[in-house]
Amino acid sequence: MLGFTIEKRQEPLKWGSFFIFLGALVFSLGVSALLLAIQGKPPLEAMYLLWDGAFAHDWALEDTVLKAIPIFLCSLGVAVCFRMQIWNIGAEGQYALGAIGATWVVLSMPDAPVWVLMPLMFLAAATLGALWAIIPALLREKMGLNEIISTLMFNYIGILFLEFLVYGSWKDPASFGFPMTIMFPDTAIIGELFGRIHWGILVCAGAATALTVFLKHTRLGFEIMVSGENPRAARYARMPYSALVVLVMGICGALAGWAGLIETSATLNRLQPTIVVGYGFTAIVVAWLARLRITSIAGYSILLAGLRVGVENLQLELQVPASFTGIMQGLILLSVLAGQFFNWYSFQRSKRG
Amino acid sequence: MGLELIIPILAATIQSGTPILYATLGEMLTERSGVLNLGVEGMMIFGAFFAFLVSYYTGNPWLAFICAGLLAGLFGLAHAVVCLVFQGNQVVSGLALTILGVGLADFLGTAYVGVSAPGFSPFDFPVLSAIPVLGEIFFKQDALVYVSFLLPFLFWFFMNRTRWGLALGAAGENPAACFAAGLNPVKLRWAGIYFGGVLCGLGGAYLSLAYTHLWTNNMTAGRGWIAVALVIFAFWRPGRAMFGAYLFGGIMAFQMRLQAVGATLPSSLLLMLPYALTIIVLLFSSARGKGRQAPAALGVNIEPGE
Amino acid sequence: MRKFVGIVMLAALVAVAGFGATVAQAKELKVGFVYVSPVGDAGYSYAHDLGRQAVAKMDGVKTFYVESVPEGADATRVINNMARKGYDVIFGTSFGYMDPMLKVAKKFPKTTFMHCSGYKTAPNMSAYFGRIYQSRYLAGLVAGSMTKSNIIGYVGAFPIPEVKRGINAFTLGVRAVNPNAKVHVVWTKTWYDPATEKEAAKSLIDIGSDVIAQHQDSPGPQEAAQEAGIYSVGYNSDMSQFAPKAHLTSVVWNWSAFYPVVIEKVKKGEWKADNYWWGLSEGVVDLAPFGKMVPQDVQDMVNARKAEIKKGTFKVFAGPIKDQSGTVRIAEGEVASDAMLTGMDWFVEGVEGSNQ
Repeated sequence: MLGFTIEKRQEPLKWGSFFIFLGALVFSLGVSALLLAIQGKPPLEAMYLLWDGAFAHDWALEDTVLKAIPIFLCSLGVAVCFRMQIWNIGAEGQYALGAIGATWVVLSMPDAPVWVLMPLMFLAAATLGALWAIIPALLREKMGLNEIISTLMFNYIGILFLEFLVYGSWKDPASFGFPMTIMFPDTAIIGELFGRIHWGILVCAGAATALTVFLKHTRLGFEIMVSGENPRAARYARMPYSALVVLVMGICGALAGWAGLIETSATLNRLQPTIVVGYGFTAIVVAWLARLRITSIAGYSILLAGLRVGVENLQLELQVPASFTGIMQGLILLSVLAGQFFNWYSFQRSKRG
Repeated sequence: MGLELIIPILAATIQSGTPILYATLGEMLTERSGVLNLGVEGMMIFGAFFAFLVSYYTGNPWLAFICAGLLAGLFGLAHAVVCLVFQGNQVVSGLALTILGVGLADFLGTAYVGVSAPGFSPFDFPVLSAIPVLGEIFFKQDALVYVSFLLPFLFWFFMNRTRWGLALGAAGENPAACFAAGLNPVKLRWAGIYFGGVLCGLGGAYLSLAYTHLWTNNMTAGRGWIAVALVIFAFWRPGRAMFGAYLFGGIMAFQMRLQAVGATLPSSLLLMLPYALTIIVLLFSSARGKGRQAPAALGVNIEPGE
Repeated sequence: MRKFVGIVMLAALVAVAGFGATVAQAKELKVGFVYVSPVGDAGYSYAHDLGRQAVAKMDGVKTFYVESVPEGADATRVINNMARKGYDVIFGTSFGYMDPMLKVAKKFPKTTFMHCSGYKTAPNMSAYFGRIYQSRYLAGLVAGSMTKSNIIGYVGAFPIPEVKRGINAFTLGVRAVNPNAKVHVVWTKTWYDPATEKEAAKSLIDIGSDVIAQHQDSPGPQEAAQEAGIYSVGYNSDMSQFAPKAHLTSVVWNWSAFYPVVIEKVKKGEWKADNYWWGLSEGVVDLAPFGKMVPQDVQDMVNARKAEIKKGTFKVFAGPIKDQSGTVRIAEGEVASDAMLTGMDWFVEGVEGSNQ
């Protein structure tokens, strides 16, 4: 092949993922810029506006971080599943169920004091979210049902269930018939911590820490890591593989459920069908870009949240359609996937060449 | 419900099942070659858009149909580059392809929303449409439906009776043996991804050329994902794919008509039916048995070098 | 940390490329629009965008828009950023923008806010909408006169008051000329999905409908009617091009009769917070030209009623009006208040189907 052969490296390339990401980012920005140029928009100015709207000001950074919070939580969970090679793409539905759980608590005891209400909301969100993930996990382990398909269908069903409630019995009588629940009482609202950043960010930090400790320093965590790398070996070692699958799915569901809870309580202050805007899918992109590492997930959540926020600036100034986000996400992910090849392989000049 | 309502439901079943049938066969072809491509939704919407675009400018729906397939196949080759050349993860690459395809079609297609283009319309198939009941259900459709009737048979014949088809299947079952037999499994997988993408694109084209004569962003509305599910339901066999696609089309047609006759169930619950049914149907068919398994090397990349 | 380095490097790259902020323009009025769907949807947002284009043609005015903004947190951010960028007038064109806009309006007292289809106002925020139900009633008169099977199909987007109000007005129109006719409703839960909406229309045709009306942005239902050889009523803009043989008329928006008026008021300093709900008489809503199949006497009847509505001598929602279960909701001699219309969550007698 043109005098080159492909050789496998003994060790992955040092700092490889960083350079790969940079290369992939440059490539995708290049292709996106080309697309813009074709439509007659100034590409460099567009890139500046994207940056400007997402990171360049205090308020922009605040917007981006706020947006990153639900993406981060969903992505943490997705990453744990992916580590075990469980392809859970149902974070979107689990997020919806979490929002339903939290709202159910608020609607059934709106007058409870905050120290009763808040913990119960978190408990209900985690339980319903986890339930929505554990069912596909059980179907997979007991009935051999492919989890990609089941979690995907559960997304549709979960979101429609949310609509069913909000268009039906949960509708606020004072909302003039529009699909939204009552405004949550102050006791059920996650308040601001500094600036506009609410204390949901502490939940993120707590969840990330707990998860790191769990994966790195407990026996179960160790088993999850091993099972992911080699399911067959895990079974030989008598690890409870099925139980582990249920566990990671449960963790993912609970975390996605909390994302739904936080989005409902902190940013909307009520439940509306419009809270479902694709965080669960962005989470998959983030998890993979971060190569499933918890610290990197934080960085990439902020980056992709920034992309979503920044594109609005692009729309205002250059009338670039909203779908531009999807193009950039897809391109970055594809090129990173391709680029990861160089982490393990290198092109060598062939001796026979 | 009398016959006068059942016949239209069944006729509508065929029509709403057709785009799914094309896409299911496409994904099946790719998977039979050993590659999982979750980008079906992306390739479908890509096909839907280019079909509309070509028909809008040339006024020739057949040309549009073919172009849509060829271009969607090319788009799908991004998956081949990532997975076959660069050894990327097939699941994630497919997802990325879907995200990219939906975004790209939307980005390019905004200007064409709200105009209509020439397309296919139903006509009575000579002779056969005169058969009572069956004729009304199967043979008062458009040309692309008639094409889709033949596809499962062609698919079966290709996979089981031709040299190329058998080789393609070997790349999915046992790439090492395939290689030993003097075939190149990587090249075969390139072909599997390309022609699978072509069929997915044709499924998308059906939506913008025959189902309606309009284009909009997101018009595939999850049909690509249903197709991925149906491949598993069908045990990777074309005949069952046809059955699955029509089953699914039927439930979509049915829930709308349930609303139309005045059912007082909330619409959210009725709209859940197709998705819930997919899971139930898969549960009944997922018992592992002989001849029901996925191609043995499905989703496993062929490492370079050896 | 590596990721952070990446971000910083990206910043440096951009900075090197050298783009100063592009400010310092002549003093002109900046007007922003927030849309809930893509402007290319040929429907609701498109109709608003035609209004925006009319504003853009005015002297000393520059317009901007953001499309596909989900209602809720994203809306707050977008509206907030528009205000921060110094936009003078901001239009939010969907119901769900009401609370976000109110929040932002309190923070930016000098900015003028206009919210479409809600009911809350503030000293610097008006509510506005169009009485599209007046046109729907007229379309109902046409449909009721044309039906032979006495079954009329109505493809509805989402079960919210705006759509239900339209279905009720349409049904009142149908039953005013044809008391035996029934209107069957199918919900699609989409605003613009030609395939689903066409399928919904076909399902209504299968149960015997011979006129199809729609509260959808896509012409899918029109196509279904044309193929089945029956009649149709369009929505948003004149849809006759999609179904020349079927199209009776369309219920249309004309925002260019409203937006420039508002901007003119702002420029002259005459703007004050109000609740604008304009209708046929102001030209914000209308009926598209009739198809050839509509007989002259029907056209005359509809035009006469249109004139009465314009003069204010005829009210669409005048009692007695019963709901689906036969309970009187609007008593004889009463007229529905605007508050009641805003929150209309029930179906009038003659509608068949679930109201959620």
